[in-house]
Amino acid sequence: MKRIFLLLAAILLTSCANKSMTRYETLAPTLEKKGFDATIAEVKKEKDDLYGSNSEFLYYYDLGILYHYNRNFDESIKNLTQAEKIYEDLYAKSITNEAAAILTNDNTRPYRARPFELLTMYQYQILNYLAKMDLDGALVEVRRSQIAMNALYQKDKDKVNDNGYLRYLQALVYELDGDDDEAAIAYIKAIKAYDESKMGLPKEVFEFATESLRRMEREDDIRALKKPELPSTPKATAVHEQGQEIIVLGYAGHSPILGEMYLSGTFVSAGAMNLYYKDGETGNRVSFTLVAPPVPGAGSETFHIGFALPEVRKYKSRVNQFEISLDGKTRIRPEKVMDVDQELRQNMDDERNTVITRTAVRVILRTIAAQKAKSATNTGNGILDLLKNIFIDVGQTQLEQADLRVGLFLPNSFHMTRIPVQPGSHDVNVAAVGPHGETVGVYKFDKIAVRKGQKVLLIVPAIK
Amino acid sequence: MSKLWILCLCACMVAFVGCGKKVTRIDENSTTDLSGAWNDTDSRLVADEMITDCLNRPWYQTMIQQKNGIVPTVVIGKVRNKSHEHINVETFIKDMERALINSGKADFVANAEERAELRSELASQAGNATEETRKDAGQEIGADLMLTGTLNSIVDQEGDEQVIYYQVDLELTDIQSHRKVWVGDKKIKKYISRNSVKM
Repeated sequence: MKRIFLLLAAILLTSCANKSMTRYETLAPTLEKKGFDATIAEVKKEKDDLYGSNSEFLYYYDLGILYHYNRNFDESIKNLTQAEKIYEDLYAKSITNEAAAILTNDNTRPYRARPFELLTMYQYQILNYLAKMDLDGALVEVRRSQIAMNALYQKDKDKVNDNGYLRYLQALVYELDGDDDEAAIAYIKAIKAYDESKMGLPKEVFEFATESLRRMEREDDIRALKKPELPSTPKATAVHEQGQEIIVLGYAGHSPILGEMYLSGTFVSAGAMNLYYKDGETGNRVSFTLVAPPVPGAGSETFHIGFALPEVRKYKSRVNQFEISLDGKTRIRPEKVMDVDQELRQNMDDERNTVITRTAVRVILRTIAAQKAKSATNTGNGILDLLKNIFIDVGQTQLEQADLRVGLFLPNSFHMTRIPVQPGSHDVNVAAVGPHGETVGVYKFDKIAVRKGQKVLLIVPAIK
Repeated sequence: MSKLWILCLCACMVAFVGCGKKVTRIDENSTTDLSGAWNDTDSRLVADEMITDCLNRPWYQTMIQQKNGIVPTVVIGKVRNKSHEHINVETFIKDMERALINSGKADFVANAEERAELRSELASQAGNATEETRKDAGQEIGADLMLTGTLNSIVDQEGDEQVIYYQVDLELTDIQSHRKVWVGDKKIKKYISRNSVKM
């Protein structure tokens, strides 16, 4: 009975595929060829197969972002709110899930969102409410995002838990509400967050921050930030004095995905762990040796081990910047305000030690258990034992999967600019530009009506 | 081994018993706190308490005397949600309207949005309704006082614990003189603890 069970389990496990890869391979072509509507329909239709109950956060997160690109802001709000609720409900970690993950792999744990995904969720929500002209709604999201950032900081202050672009949006919303004190504080925090990131501080953000702080007579804060003083802030001054502006927000390219790096080698308890893997970017084989921890019951036997780790795979985006023409005259190139590629890499760096430790514990325990199972189920029949052992090894290999879950529909980078305009009607053309300066697509916004003091938000989703 | 199977079977049965949805009707005035967020109970209690407080302050008798015993007419203006939650302010306003009308101490007129709709109906009647049933324009009752307010919150959290502090501020302003006749507030403090581990 026990032997049959083990064989069946091994056969069953061979049929497991990494759902994250399936999700990407199914949805990326749909987005590329058929657009947002078809992708939304596909995500909803294949919810169970592509996401499943353990990736419920991602399901609502992906849908919320797709609806945002499609300008269905109500649906976007609804789905992102659901994603936030799931994130909060997952605060308590399930002992059974964690135990199952040690026996199988991290994909059996519910997906809890990476910090930058959580913070982008609030960015999209703020923009959803702004696009709906619901300033109070946007302010609520600003406050919720601050609470979320505090919670992330309390959870682990050594990891990245801030976001310059989110702080910049918070400042913008406070300005719209006429709350200049809060806006000034948000600008200071935006500068600090950008300085801590690898991306650096965008010039336009600094210009608007300088304008805000000068108006609030907080020049000391600018000096304390150790930034070169700007002689003038013409654009920010014009926006402040005129009141009305057009804000263009461009989503360029496609965020990176996670691929699987498979490492294999040998392990001797309290001895050495020799491992090698193929580098996903260079294709080179890399080998290294680590000190192996002592494992009770492992003896001095040499075990063959194999384990999978997630690695960032850059998506070759066709769009990486924008060019804006206003009323056929002014040409503006909005700056990059957030780099998702870097955010994901930073997150992988932050999580590396935790992921490697979890993986190592899991693989070592499972390998030893498999060896014990092989010994315990020996029949004495050479051929049968060989087949059974192969099944167990194959099953074990199939069981080992890296957790590749990540939001699929973020852009590679966010670009934003604020353009002061006169009240009246304006034509805005936004060209999505590729890495070699080629125009990949043109987004036309004809006869945009701007009233006195109004802020008009234009969203350009060039997720290509 | 057989004991192990029996144990597994029992565990499965317990798990299945816990599945499924159960709906129970409860009293609309009962206090229910599920997530710790602002809810219908908060809205109702705050509206009742604040309106009662408002109408029992000295300004009320002074105004009654000034108006020769006629109760003041109140309109509800903007109540802004400045909290960290998406609170349906409309429900809170309706709770205040109900508390005002039920007190019998104040007359209450439609707010700006409702007035616009009523005026549109009035304009429609002018061209379409019979002369006997048609209502005349310019017969609206002008409010004496406007009630406005804000709903604020402060969140303090550390690990598994969270304290949410709500403060509702309401102001009653004389529309003629712009004099504030009453300022009231109501505070609610909630302590929420969460388990970081579950089975």
